[in-house]
Amino acid sequence: MSHRLRFVPGRLLQAVPVVFGVTIVVFFMVHLLPGNPALTLLGQTATPDRVAALNHQLGLDEPLWQQYGTFLRHLVTGDLGTSITYQQPVADLIVTALPVTLELVVFALVLALLISIPLAGLAATRPGRGRDLGVRAFTLVGQGMPQFWVGIMLLLLLAVRLGAFPVGGYGDTPGEHVYYLFLPSLTLAIALAPQVIRSLRASMISVLGSEYVGTARSKGAGGAALFRGHVLRNAAIPTVSIVGVNLGYLVGGSLVIEKVFAVPGLGSLMVNAIFSRDFPTIQAVSLVVALFVVVVGVLTDVAYTLLDPRVDLAVGGRP
Amino acid sequence: MRLTALTAVAAVALAACGGGGSSSTSTAGKDGGKLVIARAADALSMNKTTTFDNSSIYVFEQMMEPLFMVSEDGTKVEPWLATGYDVSSDKLTYTIHLREGVTFSNGSPMTAKDVKFSIDEDTKTGADGWGYINAAIDTVTATDDKTVTIKLKYAWAPILADLSLFSNAIIPDNYGGKTAEQFYEAPVGTGPFVWGEWKKGQSLTLNKNPKYWGSGKPHLDSVTWTVVPDANTRKLQLQGKQIDIDEFPDWSSFSALKSAPGITATAFPSTRIDYVTMNQKKTPLQDVHVRRAIAYALDRESMVKTVLYGNGQAADSLLSPGTPFYAKNPQAPSYDVATAKAEMAKSSTPQGFSTSISISSGDPNQGSVAQIMQSELKEIGIDLQIQQLDPTALRAARNAGNFTMLLGGWTMDIPDPDEWTSFAVDPDGGSHSAYTYYDNPDVIAINKKAQAETDDTKRAELYKELQEKTAADAWAAYLYYSPYAYAMQSSVKGFHVTPLGNYHLENVTK
Repeated sequence: MSHRLRFVPGRLLQAVPVVFGVTIVVFFMVHLLPGNPALTLLGQTATPDRVAALNHQLGLDEPLWQQYGTFLRHLVTGDLGTSITYQQPVADLIVTALPVTLELVVFALVLALLISIPLAGLAATRPGRGRDLGVRAFTLVGQGMPQFWVGIMLLLLLAVRLGAFPVGGYGDTPGEHVYYLFLPSLTLAIALAPQVIRSLRASMISVLGSEYVGTARSKGAGGAALFRGHVLRNAAIPTVSIVGVNLGYLVGGSLVIEKVFAVPGLGSLMVNAIFSRDFPTIQAVSLVVALFVVVVGVLTDVAYTLLDPRVDLAVGGRP
Repeated sequence: MRLTALTAVAAVALAACGGGGSSSTSTAGKDGGKLVIARAADALSMNKTTTFDNSSIYVFEQMMEPLFMVSEDGTKVEPWLATGYDVSSDKLTYTIHLREGVTFSNGSPMTAKDVKFSIDEDTKTGADGWGYINAAIDTVTATDDKTVTIKLKYAWAPILADLSLFSNAIIPDNYGGKTAEQFYEAPVGTGPFVWGEWKKGQSLTLNKNPKYWGSGKPHLDSVTWTVVPDANTRKLQLQGKQIDIDEFPDWSSFSALKSAPGITATAFPSTRIDYVTMNQKKTPLQDVHVRRAIAYALDRESMVKTVLYGNGQAADSLLSPGTPFYAKNPQAPSYDVATAKAEMAKSSTPQGFSTSISISSGDPNQGSVAQIMQSELKEIGIDLQIQQLDPTALRAARNAGNFTMLLGGWTMDIPDPDEWTSFAVDPDGGSHSAYTYYDNPDVIAINKKAQAETDDTKRAELYKELQEKTAADAWAAYLYYSPYAYAMQSSVKGFHVTPLGNYHLENVTK
């Protein structure tokens, strides 16, 4: 690790108040929602006495600041609380669901890059020509289609018609996970790719027109070697931050996609928790998502530093 | 002095039916195979005494069985882990005889001690569970290994039906030496399937119980319920042969699957009734003429057509046809705009009024019903605003009485009308007459009489009267009776759903 990554620990420390703020906002927002978990657990024959008794048992009749204090106390000892609906530690639920969503998001990112890099290259090498127009049309369509609809179409075509993929689910083995997650990841990738393509295409065009590429060409470099060695690395720098920002959105998008594809990840966990007012689960999931966004932000800067030798975030800002 | 009750139930009991109850469904399939059922929501808990959601109940019913079981047509109870019973002449003492040769899946034999423990356990959960169902029980005694004596506080006709509820299912005495919490993490019972694996949010698997008392059953090696929230995805999974059964497809999927090759879509008769809850604390809904006007203004047939895609029928009673003692009522309000207008003219607000209905956001059925109501009530001068709330916020509003109208639904848990009628029309039922704040002393008295009447003919009379009076009061506006929708691969045989919604997977082959 180069000395230029000295900024990482400090950046992570700066994130502590951010995450703390998120827990406060989420806590009071969900407690402002009308309704409580007892209402969803007890069915419609629940008498007011029984609802009150269960809320008391769950500690939901204490003042809000006291409940928040309890949440914080537990958090400091590494205890995320107990899910009200499942009556088991939230940490267990998150340990099961988080890897699923991470796999989905990382897989989507890989697919998005696999789609974007060649298409951006195609477009950038002949700007304004047919293939460039074709790629730009694709970015417009890809961004315009609602994600759930793309998901359903992929299911219909690739899973039901062709039988090439399973219709939703997650499978049991690592190999199966990849196979089951392909379509949902592709759905997310189709939504992410247009933005990556646009950014890459623009920066590739400017890199291709730059002096050092001309110099490399005059020295006899060309084709794929030139593209990999000179063009892609330099063009990738602005795209890294686009990808970083979008990873946060990708987690949001996975909420919808997980429902369509019956993927048991954080999104499914969160949606059910909100509906049943499972406060501890809502708190814990938002905490984890906030941490995820912070970590992705730091990783984006790390990637930046490694890609661009001129950047030293430990002393100054970005160029 | 004891006398043997020679009711239909006892007659069945004396016929000593073979294992696994009196299944009339043919099981022309083969043994073995893994059945996969996809459903919208995951189970929450295996605790039979404190759990209220069907996703959990349908699962643990395969592991833990009660003494009596609702018949396939839902009209009566039949002996299950019991073989029969005697009842004293004062109707206060029930002596129940247990089936021989029943063992728990852990190998220990089921005895009267286990039965006493299980029923007492349920009764104790009065505050946060199903305990209220046992309110009439005074004591349960294990008389000898194979006999249990239940003493009642008062004559109580629904007692056998109450004992057939899943919360009274039989588990090992003292949780087999575990704590309740440990026990319900992997419950042990006498049922055809045993605990397998639960991946929360993803799937729950039960395996075949090789020690099951029902001869030759179950046929399947395992059953897995998978969580697939999106109805459309479930439909595609069924068409892609990834699952065997789609539990509760939405009605549009159901219609599409009816004509799909290799798929059987069945609407099983249910006890579900959907109705409009009218809060009588809100003016002018305390006026019976206003409520009747609303009830007459609703075109139920068109709701059945648009909302249920034709799968259902207009409702004319607070009981559904699948409930014992249902009586067809030609006098009940039906779609008749002229009568609705006449009732409005007689009411305290002949000029009409503005009101609102609160519905659950994201529930397409409720959205359609509310929109149809909106246009129909306009005809009689009622301006209806639709207010959408998320499901839990709506429950909170309902329980607090902060609403004018909303859409209610009820499905029976036991084959006896009392569970619902006491909740629906008796304010002492705990929820202000199903949140309508309806309070008619006459009706309450009839309901109480029917609870204590053990002669079925007399009971039928009382419930007929109750159904007529409540309909005339328009205590609620009945909408429709809808069946349970299931779609499955045509190779699945023996899958039957009772009007209470439970199914017996020991009869299923694939």
